[in-house]
Amino acid sequence: MKKELHDLAEKAIQIAKSSGADDCRVAVGGERFVEIGYRDRKPENIKEATTKGLRVEIFVNKRYSSQSTSDLRPESLKTFIGNAVTSTKLLAEDPFRTLPDPKYYQGRAAADLKQSDPDYEKVTPESRHSFVKAIEESCLAKGGDRVISATASGYDSRREMILMASNGFDGYEEATVFYGAAEMTAKDEGERRPAEYGVAVAMSRKALPKPEDIGAEAASRTLSLLGAKKIKTETLPIIIENRVVARFGDGFMQAMFGRSIQQKQSFLADKKGQKVASPVMTLIDDPFIPGAMGSGTFDGEGMTNRKRVMIDAGVLKEFYIDWYYGRKLGWEPTTGRPTNTILPPGKRSVKEIMKDLGRGIFITGFIGGNSNSTTGDTSIGIVGQLFEKGEIVHPVSEMNIADNHLKIWQRLAEAANDPYPYSPQRIPSLVFTDVVVSGI
Amino acid sequence: MTKISRRSFLKTGATAAAATIAVPAILSRGWYAFAQAEAAGYFEREFGITEGLCRKVLAKALAKGGDFADLYFEHTISNYLILEDGKVNRAASDVALGVGIRTVKGDQVGYGFTQDLNEKAMLAAASTAATIADASAKEPGGKFVALKTKNYYPVYTLFSSVPLDTKLPLVQSVNDKCFALSPLVIKVNVVFHDQQKRILVVTSEGTKAEDLQPLSFLASTAVVEKNGKRERSGWNYGGRREFSYYTPALADKLAKLCVDRALVLFDAIQPPAGEMPVVLGPGITGVLLHEAIGHGMEADFNRKKISTFCTMIGKKVAEPFVTIIDDGTVPNLAGSINFDDEGTPGQKTVLVDKGILTGYLHDKISARFYGVSPTGNGRRQSYEHYVIPRMRNTYMLAGQATPEEVIKAAGKGIYVEDVANGQVKIGEGDFAFFVSQGRMIENGKLGAPIKDVNIMGNGPKMLANITMLADDFEFYDGGAGGCGKDNQGVPCGFGQPSALVKSLTVGGVKG
Repeated sequence: MKKELHDLAEKAIQIAKSSGADDCRVAVGGERFVEIGYRDRKPENIKEATTKGLRVEIFVNKRYSSQSTSDLRPESLKTFIGNAVTSTKLLAEDPFRTLPDPKYYQGRAAADLKQSDPDYEKVTPESRHSFVKAIEESCLAKGGDRVISATASGYDSRREMILMASNGFDGYEEATVFYGAAEMTAKDEGERRPAEYGVAVAMSRKALPKPEDIGAEAASRTLSLLGAKKIKTETLPIIIENRVVARFGDGFMQAMFGRSIQQKQSFLADKKGQKVASPVMTLIDDPFIPGAMGSGTFDGEGMTNRKRVMIDAGVLKEFYIDWYYGRKLGWEPTTGRPTNTILPPGKRSVKEIMKDLGRGIFITGFIGGNSNSTTGDTSIGIVGQLFEKGEIVHPVSEMNIADNHLKIWQRLAEAANDPYPYSPQRIPSLVFTDVVVSGI
Repeated sequence: MTKISRRSFLKTGATAAAATIAVPAILSRGWYAFAQAEAAGYFEREFGITEGLCRKVLAKALAKGGDFADLYFEHTISNYLILEDGKVNRAASDVALGVGIRTVKGDQVGYGFTQDLNEKAMLAAASTAATIADASAKEPGGKFVALKTKNYYPVYTLFSSVPLDTKLPLVQSVNDKCFALSPLVIKVNVVFHDQQKRILVVTSEGTKAEDLQPLSFLASTAVVEKNGKRERSGWNYGGRREFSYYTPALADKLAKLCVDRALVLFDAIQPPAGEMPVVLGPGITGVLLHEAIGHGMEADFNRKKISTFCTMIGKKVAEPFVTIIDDGTVPNLAGSINFDDEGTPGQKTVLVDKGILTGYLHDKISARFYGVSPTGNGRRQSYEHYVIPRMRNTYMLAGQATPEEVIKAAGKGIYVEDVANGQVKIGEGDFAFFVSQGRMIENGKLGAPIKDVNIMGNGPKMLANITMLADDFEFYDGGAGGCGKDNQGVPCGFGQPSALVKSLTVGGVKG
C-alpha cells in the first residue's frame, strides 16, 4: 500500500499547489483491521474493513486551513482541495502559519523501533477466534457463579501513513496493533452489578500476555469490587494504580502544551525552571523505545523526534511546543505531540508500599471528573480499595478526590516498581499523601 | 486506544474548523413529507446507488442466512471556523463518505464497511458481514418502500450554500463583543461548526429511508485576568439548526454569558467535600439524567442483565411527580432524529412515568429480544460503526414549585449551573458529573460561586432522592459535545427544571 499512499500524497500536493497554495502538508493513511467480540461462547460481533483517509493542510497568502476526506475519487479530491484553497484565501491573515523550517526535519533516527509485527499477515481468522474464545473462557472460569455477563474482544490492525510537506519533508510509518480485552459483570448485593475489565495492547502479537491472563484479570478485578461501600470524608494517602494513573496525569500535562500557554490557559506557563512537583517526579518523553506505542522518528509536523527530559526531579524543564505556537510565543519549538512518557519506576511493589502507609485508598479507576488547565483545579470520581496496614479492607464507591495540580504533585511520595506496559504512558503506580477523599 | 465500553458525556471544545463545498441550494419543504424530501434520491444521483444494487448487496449480506441485513450510506460534510487572537484565522473541514453493511442473526452482528461506493467493494464488505451467520442464503424483501416521517429539523438553506464571508463576521462579532464587555478579558476563542449529514438506510425488510441531518453550534470561551489571577469560562448555542438561527442577538447573548460567567469565577471557591443536598439549575444539568438513568435504560445493557435497572421495570423508582422522557421529536434539538440509523421513525419514549420505571430504549436487536417494537434509539456515529441503543434528547418534566422554593428547601448545599461532562458505571449505577460552575446554598439562599467540582451519586438512589421540582423547565440549547458509548459519539440533548436532590457526594477540597 506504501506506493499507493505515496502517489496519493504527491497528487494532493500537486493539486494544492496548482490551485494556488503557497505550501501544503499532506497526511495519507490506510488501515486494515479486524475486530471480534464473544459473549455466551459465540461471536457477538465481527467487524472488518480497509480504510483510507487524507488530510491536507493549506498555507496560502499567510492563511491556513486543514481539510480531511475519505472521498478519494480523483475528481472529488481535485474539487475538494481546489475549493479549500479558494476558501482559505478568505480567512484572516496569520503570519505565524508556515511549514516548519526544514532544518527541523533533519537528523531523523534510523533505528528500528519495532512498530510493525513481521508476522502480521500470518494471523488467521481461526487464531483470532481462538484467542478471543480463550479470553472469555478464562473470565468465565475465574468469575464462577458470580458472573452475570462476560464479554471478550480482540482487535488487530495494520496501518501505514505517509506525511509529506511541500518544503521537502517525506516520512513513512507503519504500525501493527494487537489488542485483547474482557469485561465482566458480577452479582453483588441488591441491584448492584459491578463491572470491570482486563486489557492488553501491544504492537506485536508476541508482546501480548496469554489470553487466559486477560480474562482472569477482568474476573479478579470485578470480584474485587463486590461489597463496595462509601466511607466518611477523610484526608488520606492514596495510591493511583499504574493502569489508570495517566488519566489523572493528563490534567497536569494539558498545561504543558504551547496552545495552553499562548492562550493563557496554563497554570504552568511561568513555571519553567521551577519546582512543580516532588523530587520523585521525573518525566521523560522518549520516542525511541522499541515496540512502544508512542515511538516514532518524526512528529505530526514532520519535526524530528528527540528524547527530552520534561520534568527533572520535580523541576519543569520543557514544554510541548509545536511549530505554530512556538512562533507565536517566540519560543524554540520542541514537539506538539508527546511520544512515550516515562516516569522512572521505584523499587517497591504496591503491596510493600501499602504496608507503610497505614490507612489509605488504592485507586483502580476513575469516573467523570475534569481538570482546569488555567488554574490546575481538579476533582474526579474514584473506584478503588480501602486498605489498612497493607491489607485490603473493602472496595469503595461513590467517592471523589479533589486537589490542585500545582499542589498535589508536590506531595508525590513514591513511585512503585510497576510501569504500565500497555500504553505510551509508561507510568508506575503513584503514591500521594494528604488527599481529601470525599464520601459520606 | 481502548476498545473497552466507555460511557461518558463530553462537552467537547471544538478544535478543528471550515471551508465550504459548493452544492446547489435546497428549497423549502413541508412538515409532513419524506424525511427531508429534497434529499430523496441523493445517493442514486450522486453515487449511482440504485435499488437493484442495494438488493444485490443485501443478498450477499444474507448469503449465509441471518435475520436481516441493512445498508447505511453516509455523506457528511463538516466545517469549522476558528477564531484565536482576534482573527478568524483557521478553518477545517472533513468529508466522510462510505457505506456500512450489517448482517444480524439473533443478537449477533456481522459488520463491514467501505469508503468506495462501487459494487465490488460493497459486495466484499457484505461478505464480511455475512460471516456472522452459518445457514443457507436468505433473499432480501421484494420492493423497497420509502419511509415517510415528520421532519423535526427542516433545512431551507444548506450550510454549504452560505458563503464563507457571511459566516466570518458572525464569528468575529462574538470576539469583539466579548472584549467590549470587560477590560479584564485577555483571550477569546470562538468556533462556528456546521455539519450536513446525508444518510440512506436500506433494509432487507424493504425499508428505504433518506435524510439530511443538520448540526451546528457557535461556541465561545473567554479567559479573564485580575490581579494576576486567571479564570476561564465558555458557552455555546446550537443544535440541528440552520445558519439563520445565528442572529446578531444570539451572538450578543453568547458573548455576555461567556464573559459574565468567567468574571464570576474570580470569587469562586471549591466547595467542601461530602454528602449534601444538591439543587440542579434548569437546562444543561439534565446531563445528570443522561448519566443517572438514561444509559442504564439502554436496552442492550438490560438484555445482557448488566444494568442496575434491569429488574426494575414496573417498579416505583421515584416520587410520583417525576416523569423522565427520551425523545427524538423535539424540533431542532441536537438529539432529534426523523428516523434512527436503522430506519425506525423518531419518537418519544417514556422512561419513568410518574415515578414508575416504564420502558427501555431499543434498537431492532433488543426489541426483537423483548418482543416489543423498536423505539427509534438505534444510532451510530458513522458508517464505520454498527447500531447500538442510544439516547436522543433526555429530559424530566417540570414540577410545581418555584425555583426559589427549591433552593430554600435545600437549606445548605450546592447549586449547579453548568456541567462539563459526566460518566456512569452501568452495573453499579454509580455516576459522576463535573460541575464547572455553580453556587453555594446557605440558609436556603444562593451564596458564593463555586467551580470545578465533581459530584458522585448512584442512579437508583438519586432518582429516589429527587424531592422537589420547579416550574422552570428548560432544554439545553447547545449543539457542541455529545455522548460516548462503545467508542462511538452521537449528538444528544437534555433538559430539566430546577430539581432538588436530597443528597449527593460532592468532591470538594475540605473535609
